[in-house]
Amino acid sequence: MEILRVENLTKEYSSNGVSVRALFDINLKFEQGEFTVIAGPSGSGKTTLLNIIGTLDKPSFGKVYFLGEELSKKSKSELSDLRLNKIGFIFQAYNLIPVLTNLENIEFPLMLLGMSAKDRKERAMRIMEELNIAELANKRPNSVSGGQQQRVAVARAIVHSPILVLADEPTANLDSKSASSLLDLMEKMNAEKNITFIFSSHDNNVIDRAKRLILLRDGIVIQDENK
Amino acid sequence: MFIAKLAWRNIWRNKRRSLIVILSIVVGVSASLLNDSYGVGIMNQMVDNLIKSHDSNVQIHKSGFRDNKKVNDVIPNSNRIKSILGKLNDIKGYSERVICFGLISSAANSSGVSIVGIKPELEKNVTDIYKKIIAGRYLSNGRNEIVISKKVAEKLEVEIGDKLVAVASDVNGNVSSQMFRVIGIYRSGISEYDNINIYIPLADAQEMLNLGDNIHEIAVSIEDYRKSSELKDKILTEFNKNDIVKDIYEVKTFQEIMPMMIAFLDVYHQMSYVIYLIIGIAVLFGVVNTMLMTVMERINEFGVIMSIGIRRGKLLRMIMYESLFMGLLGTIIGFIVGLLIYYPMSVNGVDMSQFSESMASFGLPNQIYPELNMNVVINTLLIIPLVTVIAGIFPAIKATRLQPSEAVRFV
Repeated sequence: MEILRVENLTKEYSSNGVSVRALFDINLKFEQGEFTVIAGPSGSGKTTLLNIIGTLDKPSFGKVYFLGEELSKKSKSELSDLRLNKIGFIFQAYNLIPVLTNLENIEFPLMLLGMSAKDRKERAMRIMEELNIAELANKRPNSVSGGQQQRVAVARAIVHSPILVLADEPTANLDSKSASSLLDLMEKMNAEKNITFIFSSHDNNVIDRAKRLILLRDGIVIQDENK
Repeated sequence: MFIAKLAWRNIWRNKRRSLIVILSIVVGVSASLLNDSYGVGIMNQMVDNLIKSHDSNVQIHKSGFRDNKKVNDVIPNSNRIKSILGKLNDIKGYSERVICFGLISSAANSSGVSIVGIKPELEKNVTDIYKKIIAGRYLSNGRNEIVISKKVAEKLEVEIGDKLVAVASDVNGNVSSQMFRVIGIYRSGISEYDNINIYIPLADAQEMLNLGDNIHEIAVSIEDYRKSSELKDKILTEFNKNDIVKDIYEVKTFQEIMPMMIAFLDVYHQMSYVIYLIIGIAVLFGVVNTMLMTVMERINEFGVIMSIGIRRGKLLRMIMYESLFMGLLGTIIGFIVGLLIYYPMSVNGVDMSQFSESMASFGLPNQIYPELNMNVVINTLLIIPLVTVIAGIFPAIKATRLQPSEAVRFV
């Protein structure tokens, strides 16, 4: 099932009156259950593409369809709801909320969805157990390792059962062992829950695991292949 | 609840900064409480002092008497009026008075005064001059006794036991004089009264002015001065019921008798709001500054939670909760601190004797007792939290206007 399609996507930024093109005429389709890596050197437009796919940013030209619906006509609130219900995000720097415990960080999207305190706690704990991080539940993010924090971030990204998880260089701050372990985990989630994962990365460990590789250079897709 | 919990924890991210803001709110709230309760104390004591020193809550005269004070403007049918007043349950008492301007002379000096003839026991129901005797004693039922103020005594250079001669025009326009012996010296603490009012027995005043058993004024008192207007209405209603022609009488509340003082009290009341405004603005800028710093420090975090899908309204609420919580915490602590300072002051009073002259000119005693009333409590507990909520609006709006894709990359 097609979950995402971008057509003739171009993104330009204006800096000091000079227009800089970050993406140019991108056409891509993503099916449910994909494990895709968008790779490319720094400045190639990986994060920009991920942001637009994730509705955090808008294209300058072109269209993005999510589950068949064109996104440009949606209001900010509708896009927030779409992200909350259908998309999970994993960031390079984990970006957990430091004043919340790991369990509360995972509960956060469920709270925004209006789930009762009891239900969201149960659900968040279940995910933590699945990801073997249950013992971190009551600790604050800054008291656990980077790898553990990223696992908590993964748990937060999938706890509300999204269709799509977007991960922006998720292994960049991890040592190779933690990175490998994290990728194992995401592969497992992809296989077991049929969650679509789209990564941006230039880490070969991530690229090697990809089922589909999209290579960007200077904002243009130069390669798109299933492996 | 979750958002509130998150907001509460966010306050303590930078403890020192939050504590400084909370401390400024504590100082603001306790200062407001003390200032306002002091103001209420001043106003109530001023009114109470004026009422109990002479003016009473409601005065009844023949129409026009207050403006001209003509000796022959006596209250028509005063016995009927007194009988009506005697039937009113909610009055504390009334006093019959004869009032005229005259000259009082000693061997050494003379002074223009307002001669007030009273029945000493009835007057005790209305004023507390009897409590303000500083030498000698209050009037008894004897004749030719006079109670004068300390200021008049000093001017006339007389002491207890000395003789004075009072001269005034009687009801027929003839000059009449009578000799009195000083039996008491009072000090009301109100310059306006101390300079002019002297008290003699009612019978002596009626005799001196050839008034028979007529009187010029009936001063009525009640327990709660705020019900003076109600009392006036009741008296006028009773006049109607008893077929008394209202127009030949003037029934005045103390507010009507002392319009300047009431205007002063209004100004003082407005001033307390100006002080609230000043404190509020100081707190406002402190909280805005802190919340702006908080927002700037957490741009990345706001980007993350916007990415997760928080609606802007919820994000706005979260930030405003943070400023509200600081406001509430500061207000509660400030209120307690204010109460702890207020309590001994309300019991022991604030000594203002170094300003006794100017205090007396406003009808104020030297010792001011701050008073808390519901208005003070509500103002203190509502204004500052409200200000902190307002202070949170601008930083909160700033946060909600962040572009998630840019905010999430902000370092």
